Amino acid sequence: MAPKSSAPTQQTTAIQTLWKAYNEQTSDRLKFIDAFLFFLMLSGIVQFLYCILVTNFPFNAFLAGFSSTVGQFVLTASLRSQVNPENKNEFKEVSPERAFADFALGSIVLHFFVYNFLG
Amino acid sequence: MTTAYPLPSNLSPATVANTASLLRIVALALISGAAIASRLFAVINFESIIHEFDPWFNYRATRVLASQGFYEFWNWFDPTAWYPLGRVVGGTVYPGLMATSGVIYNFLHALNLPVDIRNVCVLLAPGFSALTAWATYMFTKEMKDESAGLLAAAFIGIVPGYISRSVAGSYDNEAIAIFLLMFTFYCWIKALKQGSALFGTIAAIFYFYMVAAWGGYVFITNMIPLHALVLILMGRFSSRLYVGYSSWYAIGTLASMQVPFVGFQPVKTSEHMGALAVFGLLQIVAFGQLVRSHVSSAQFQKLLYASVVATGILGTAVFGLLTYKGWIAPWTGRFYSLWDTGYAKKYIPIIASVSEHQPTAWPSFFMDLQFLIFLFPAGVILCFRELRDEHIFVIIYAVMASYFAGVMVRLMLTLTPVVCVASAVALSTLLDTYIDPKEPDTGDDTKSESEATVVSASGTNGSSFSATPTPTPSKKIKKAAAAAAAPLPTSGIISDLVAATGGPTRRGEPIKTKGIFGMDSRLIVIMHTLAMLSFFVFHCTWVTSNAYSSPSVVLASTNQDGSQHIIDDFREAYYWLRQNTPEDAVVMSWWDYGYQIAGMADRPTLVDNNTWNNTHIATVGKAMSSTEENAYPILRKHDVDYVLVIFGGLIGYSGDDINKFLWMVRIAQGVWPDEIQEPNYFTPQGEYRIDDMASQTMKNSLMYKMSYYRFAELFGGNQAMDRVRQQQVPKVGPTLDYLDEAFTSENWIVRIYQVKKEDLLGRDLKSANAFGQGKKRKRTKPVPRRRAIV
Amino acid sequence: MRSLFALLLLPFAFAAKDPQQQLVDLSTAGNGVIKLDATTFDLLTSPKRTWSAAIQLTALDKRRRCTPCMEFDPSWNMVAKSWTSVPKEQRNTHFFATLDFDDAPTVFQKLGLSSAPIVYVYPPAEGPRQPANGKTAPSKYDFSTGFEPGPLAEHISKHTPIPVPYKDPIDWARWASMAVGGLGLLFVLRFISPILTNRWTWAVGTVVTSLIMTSGYMFTRIRNSPYSGGGGNWIAAGYQNQFGQEVQVVAFIYGLLAFSFLMLIMIVPYQSSPYRQRMQVYLWTGVIMIIYSILVSLFRVKNRGYPFKLFL
Repeated sequence: MAPKSSAPTQQTTAIQTLWKAYNEQTSDRLKFIDAFLFFLMLSGIVQFLYCILVTNFPFNAFLAGFSSTVGQFVLTASLRSQVNPENKNEFKEVSPERAFADFALGSIVLHFFVYNFLG
Repeated sequence: MTTAYPLPSNLSPATVANTASLLRIVALALISGAAIASRLFAVINFESIIHEFDPWFNYRATRVLASQGFYEFWNWFDPTAWYPLGRVVGGTVYPGLMATSGVIYNFLHALNLPVDIRNVCVLLAPGFSALTAWATYMFTKEMKDESAGLLAAAFIGIVPGYISRSVAGSYDNEAIAIFLLMFTFYCWIKALKQGSALFGTIAAIFYFYMVAAWGGYVFITNMIPLHALVLILMGRFSSRLYVGYSSWYAIGTLASMQVPFVGFQPVKTSEHMGALAVFGLLQIVAFGQLVRSHVSSAQFQKLLYASVVATGILGTAVFGLLTYKGWIAPWTGRFYSLWDTGYAKKYIPIIASVSEHQPTAWPSFFMDLQFLIFLFPAGVILCFRELRDEHIFVIIYAVMASYFAGVMVRLMLTLTPVVCVASAVALSTLLDTYIDPKEPDTGDDTKSESEATVVSASGTNGSSFSATPTPTPSKKIKKAAAAAAAPLPTSGIISDLVAATGGPTRRGEPIKTKGIFGMDSRLIVIMHTLAMLSFFVFHCTWVTSNAYSSPSVVLASTNQDGSQHIIDDFREAYYWLRQNTPEDAVVMSWWDYGYQIAGMADRPTLVDNNTWNNTHIATVGKAMSSTEENAYPILRKHDVDYVLVIFGGLIGYSGDDINKFLWMVRIAQGVWPDEIQEPNYFTPQGEYRIDDMASQTMKNSLMYKMSYYRFAELFGGNQAMDRVRQQQVPKVGPTLDYLDEAFTSENWIVRIYQVKKEDLLGRDLKSANAFGQGKKRKRTKPVPRRRAIV
Repeated sequence: MRSLFALLLLPFAFAAKDPQQQLVDLSTAGNGVIKLDATTFDLLTSPKRTWSAAIQLTALDKRRRCTPCMEFDPSWNMVAKSWTSVPKEQRNTHFFATLDFDDAPTVFQKLGLSSAPIVYVYPPAEGPRQPANGKTAPSKYDFSTGFEPGPLAEHISKHTPIPVPYKDPIDWARWASMAVGGLGLLFVLRFISPILTNRWTWAVGTVVTSLIMTSGYMFTRIRNSPYSGGGGNWIAAGYQNQFGQEVQVVAFIYGLLAFSFLMLIMIVPYQSSPYRQRMQVYLWTGVIMIIYSILVSLFRVKNRGYPFKLFL
């Protein structure tokens, strides 16, 4: 562990380098996906805050909305890791096209249940 | 290369492959046929009838669904159960089973096949067992290869541990649940192996089906996260794991909440929290991996590691806080009793009283699994030898399921699939090794890796005699490397044994060729294995036909000349109720018979096998175990018209109410500890007796009186004998003042009593009875149709 | 003469004193538990009592060889002790008492008791706390929950004016030993971590666990079956029953059979000498056949109707 006094500065530099590395190493396609992921994350946080601060009634509607964002988030994240060229040898049997088809199917099933659950 | 026996040389690889796949299909078809056929003993020996207790409710619900449609079924309120409370059926059942048969029924009718809904229900379990065999084949194929898969399918097709709950007529949730269990696991393994969101989604859909079908879905809910967690802890995290698990969990959890009976439990109870926690952990780890791929500074890595640990601790703390605050329900009783085995007996006697919730003694394991039970550890060891991700799943499954099966007899059902898979892996490895025609070289000259690999296990089919060496290099090399690495550590453990048999300990020597010399060694092992397999088949057939094919609604006994004698007392009595009593007559019985009365006699019952209301059951227990005077107000308050007891003393039917009586007392005592006390029902010596020495409380209890009322008369002055308890019944039997004997079935198994209405003159019934008897002592009693079977 | 007079006076002296105060004194003297004899028993359970009482009937003398009595006595005293901490006005309306068989065999005869320990709870027969249903007969405590003090206190609380303030004592020794053990484990972990990361350690652990579980260990745990029956009889009669020793024997048989199969699969094919390999194949096949026959014959003992048998 780093000593406490120097931790904040180191953190900021670390995050800066991370941001730089990310910008340099990531293709535009993946950045696009990441933007969507970021949006979903914000949406999820807003819903969660609403649930805690205002009301969780009706609970099934909250759950449906929240799990649609979470579900879409993980499906998109899965798509991202499947199409990421770095992971090519991990996903031998999943081509990018197949990954997108999987993604579409998963999303359809997910939103079918979300729609059913909204009540 | 020498071979032990001649191989045909003029075959092209394509022919071999085609023949093998054809044989596989034929073998699978035959296995399905065998699985279905061996479950039909019940139909052949008896008739096409629904078995036992719970299936009667499922059958009744399915009939409602088939005749009135799904919407009506969903909103069905049943006023005749749990009289006078009623039961909301739609929200308190797992509808998967009924929906499945409803779909099959409607499908067949759409094809203009006018099949009776009863036959759909009776044959559903055998049909699904064929599908289970197929799912097990697919699952085992992922573990080893097709030949192991075929063996596993054959095992699960006929193994008694699974047949016990899936014979024709056993129309219960487990009938379809085991197929769903295996198929969900197969999809999960596939999703993990390929990193495919498609299989994750399919796994989620089948998980949803499973949630809709059986309460045991919690097993999947915890097995898959446990597997994922172990993989992470072993440092085997991969993006494939992330994709598979996330897609399964996100869709599956949302889907499982669509079932009304489950409701919000997946986000509110502790059983489901493990899955959520692993889901969260996986997100953090995946994010960490992503960041690490971009930055490789050591400092950052440390920071990352610390933040992951901190998040973990924080999450646990939040979970603890939520449980403490009561927002997350703690473990439910039924589930908790699996871990704390004394819990159920103390706090929920209803669960402890069910015979299938008893712990399992070893003969049951052997009866249900026979030689698979000792091949199973060998298979687990072989899984350790390769230790790919999917093998870890089998290992975890093996440990968890063998614990659960030891605690509860009914959970033998979850152990059976993994036993079949593991022992199929072991047995097919054995056969692969000994059928393989390659002769190793006698000398100890070392061979190159590539040559050694060819010798290792090659795919052979259960029925084919020619080995088919199918070269799939990458897999083979891995396997061979693992195989080569394996014996080194083991030889340490067993070195003395090997030395004792003349074999040198070969630690640190170069890799030897692997193979079997000569035909005799091969033949003896193969013959021996075939003998064991055929013994297994005989065993399974015997167990199935003798132990597991009784509908328990209809009993069978063997006459002296060996012919079968059918004892049909239950249906006789239920039909009597149906035809001789008003439609709204309330029948009180112990809860075991609630579903049967509702299903066959179509009369309202006080309690049934749903057991959701402990107090109501305890009320019935109290009425049964108190004296007539105390029980009468209870009966009248609940509008009881008839009381039904099961009595096996005449023909020796041991599952009768006197044997269950102590549970009634115990459950009643849980609610009214001042009025009902268990020790009072024992003799001062602490024995449970029904003869002259029985305690006074026992003799005065309503249950005792109803069971032995006029029993002694049957023996015409001879000593009356209870054949179940092997005790002599007092010569002067009990008398009844508040009840009238209404019906007693042919073999006295079912006895029905009518509750008298209040006396018209306002006397209490006891004195009225005494008065009546004094007056009309000479009245001849009508002779009911009963006879002693000696 | 004087002494005789004093003797005659003694009962009067007792009678003169308020019986409840007398019991309070006895109770204080006995650290919350009244040690009863025949006279004080009658006093405590007099039909005019305005107090309630919980009485332990026991036989603590060594010659009586009542092991359950010995086991139960500490729990009883702990519960009684906790009652001394309640305020005086409630404390003096309920008494804990112990009656030893050797002090008053007549009481045992009168109550028709032949076994011990037994706990009777006497509700008050008169006064404001008289039970609503008018039942003044004592109720017997059901030992089905064991000899633990917790359930006992819970049961007695139903009859006392305020609940018995019994709390399970914190077992400091156990916590301390667990902490030390945990720390020790962490320390040892550093040295044995190569063993823990070895897959064969886990393999052996897994297989041993499942062998033990599938040979009915949980059955013996839950049902508390004895290790073996008397007179060298180690097989319990009946299909749904077993002794502790059967777990070991059956687990050993299963283990040996699995081991023989593993030898055939994993070791024998690596033999480089044809002769030795042949010997091993015959050996292990023979072992499997013989042990399997033993297993089947053992199963026949448990399940009489089983029609199949192998060589034995």
